[in-house]
Amino acid sequence: MSNMAAIEVLNLYKSFGENQAVQGVSFDVSQGEIFSLLGPNGAGKTTTISMLSCLLRPNEGDARVMGHSIRTDAMGVKSVLGVVPQEIALYEDLTARENLSFWGKMYGLRGLELKKRVGEVLEVIGLLDRANERVGKYSGGMKRRVNIGVSLLHKPKVIYMDEPTVGIDPQSRRSILDSVVALKDQGMTVLYTTHYMEEAQELSNHIAIMDHGKMIACGTHDELVKLVGGQTRIDLTLHMDDGKTIDAWRDIEGVTHVAAENGTIAVLVNDSNIVLPKLFEAATNHSARITSVAIREPNLEAVFLHLTGRALRD
Amino acid sequence: MIRVLDIALKDLLQLSRDFKTFMFLLIMPILFTFLFGYAFGGFGGNESDSRLPVGYLSQDDNWVTDSLHELLTKSEVIRLDENEFRSTADLERLVAEGELAAAIIVPDGYGRAVLKDKTARLTVIADTGTQAWITIEADLLTIAGRLHDAIRTASIIESVDAERMPFKYAFEQSLSAWDEPPIAIKETKSAAIEKAGSNSSAMAHTAPAMMLQFAIAGLLTAAQVIVTERKSRTLQRLLTTATSRIHIVFGHFLAIFFLIFTQFTILIAFGQFALKVDYLRVPAATLLVAFTAALCISALGLFIGIVAKTEEQAIAFSLIPMFVFSGLGGAWVPLEFTGETFQAIGHISPVAWGMDGFENIVARGLGFESVLLSSMALTGYAIFFFLLAVWRLNVTEEK
Repeated sequence: MSNMAAIEVLNLYKSFGENQAVQGVSFDVSQGEIFSLLGPNGAGKTTTISMLSCLLRPNEGDARVMGHSIRTDAMGVKSVLGVVPQEIALYEDLTARENLSFWGKMYGLRGLELKKRVGEVLEVIGLLDRANERVGKYSGGMKRRVNIGVSLLHKPKVIYMDEPTVGIDPQSRRSILDSVVALKDQGMTVLYTTHYMEEAQELSNHIAIMDHGKMIACGTHDELVKLVGGQTRIDLTLHMDDGKTIDAWRDIEGVTHVAAENGTIAVLVNDSNIVLPKLFEAATNHSARITSVAIREPNLEAVFLHLTGRALRD
Repeated sequence: MIRVLDIALKDLLQLSRDFKTFMFLLIMPILFTFLFGYAFGGFGGNESDSRLPVGYLSQDDNWVTDSLHELLTKSEVIRLDENEFRSTADLERLVAEGELAAAIIVPDGYGRAVLKDKTARLTVIADTGTQAWITIEADLLTIAGRLHDAIRTASIIESVDAERMPFKYAFEQSLSAWDEPPIAIKETKSAAIEKAGSNSSAMAHTAPAMMLQFAIAGLLTAAQVIVTERKSRTLQRLLTTATSRIHIVFGHFLAIFFLIFTQFTILIAFGQFALKVDYLRVPAATLLVAFTAALCISALGLFIGIVAKTEEQAIAFSLIPMFVFSGLGGAWVPLEFTGETFQAIGHISPVAWGMDGFENIVARGLGFESVLLSSMALTGYAIFFFLLAVWRLNVTEEK
């Protein structure tokens, strides 16, 4: 992996009326690495990607993609870029081959080169045998594969992938994650946004955590996990709780954060051996019953909880 | 620049897979051309005979009565509706029901009475308070007057030289003199209509009118391609490639233009060869009007596609101008039938300029120069709608 930055982002701001969508985001992405923007929905990930794709003009700040400024050299940026949008941006009444052929032309490919690349990409995404079927008849997973395939046609130096696994089956998701790793192995730089902690953890060389338009942490997985120190996350479910148990847990010494999400309470503690009995005791005192307990190794969820006081999927 | 063509070809490929496109662009205008042409009497036959239907029953058997019948048959006002099995009561009923404008009964002895210069009365059944009766009465008086004048003239001639000019011969000569009266009004039609045939007057209006109207209606399919592109985020994806906004706009415009111009070409050919509307009398003029009208309507389609946020809006935004521009522009009722004020207001609609252009060629028999103003106006509208579309795209898709 080269240390030269493929993407340099400097103090980007973007607002829509009163809504401050992105507030002073800065980070560097080295060539040949996978860099993930991790955060819940509405964190500002897609707005950041849109600015880096020259679809939105930042209110302040700048970014360079392979040396091209998004402010002054949009065409230069676009020429080195492949974008996989969050939505399936394909023409459903055209076949996969027709779609790839059209997008290849938009990326400047012509003639034999275009034909060759369309064939190669169809093979990579595993749709060579169904290339002449209309995309509208494909399953969600197949459409996602074509959606990614389009961005690979011109062998871009940098690929943005905006939540490419949203709403698809586990098998297709696995296939997409494998293809992201394969892109990195081919020397491409991948900027990947997701709100799935596991994806960011599995794929990324570096991860930036975003929340409410701000970047709240950035580093390798290990660097980020160190932010929570020796803390442990305990996930519990409670039966017959009136809310007082959770308040009581917050007051226990050694508990740093408590967040409830979909019936599960995530508790960040300094030492689980000492704190866990106190959690049971407090629940008993408030006539609540703990029905499940899971003690987890520190991970990005814990980091997000530590930094924001909220679970990642809140 | 080649990307403009790529985008246009992609749009046309998408449109070619939509059956609705062909319904709107070709089948509907042809059907409506027939429908409106029929309504305006463009196919001849009894339906196009504008004379007033008048029942006729003769109870007399005399050659004078036969002459009266012949005069009535030649009338430009009265169309005799004869049925020998009808009775007087039947005629009264038909007039009361409005099936006949009036009925004439020739009583027994009418011919003999006329010959003897005695009082002879026709029996007429009519609603005397109507405008139709006033018209019929005037024509009847004229015919009856000619008949009596011919008899008097024949009597005088016979009294002078009965050997050379017997009564009946003099009577016939006297009546036939009215076939070529000393003073007459000569009606002429434009060369274009004369050449195309008697039924093309209505078609000369209807064919271009339906062509223009359904060109606008066809925009809803073209506009939907652009709306779907934005909704499916393919437009945003296009904008992440090294393709500029202006290329994208021109690409879509080119596709819509090709579609509309092809539609015009097919419908002009259909009008020329199937409906005998003489578009090819001045081919260059027809080409110019079709070209500028297609430019104008394509730019409007582009604007609609960019303004509409949903398919439903695209349909509404296409149908509204179709109805407003077509109605206002004289596609349904010729502007010549309206007052000067309405004609002036009607020319706010580009359809009015398109109609002017086509009608100058096919109905008024004018030359190439006559379409220049219309074509300039249509080009002006095209530029206006195109600039609106570009402006709207820039506002919608924030830079």
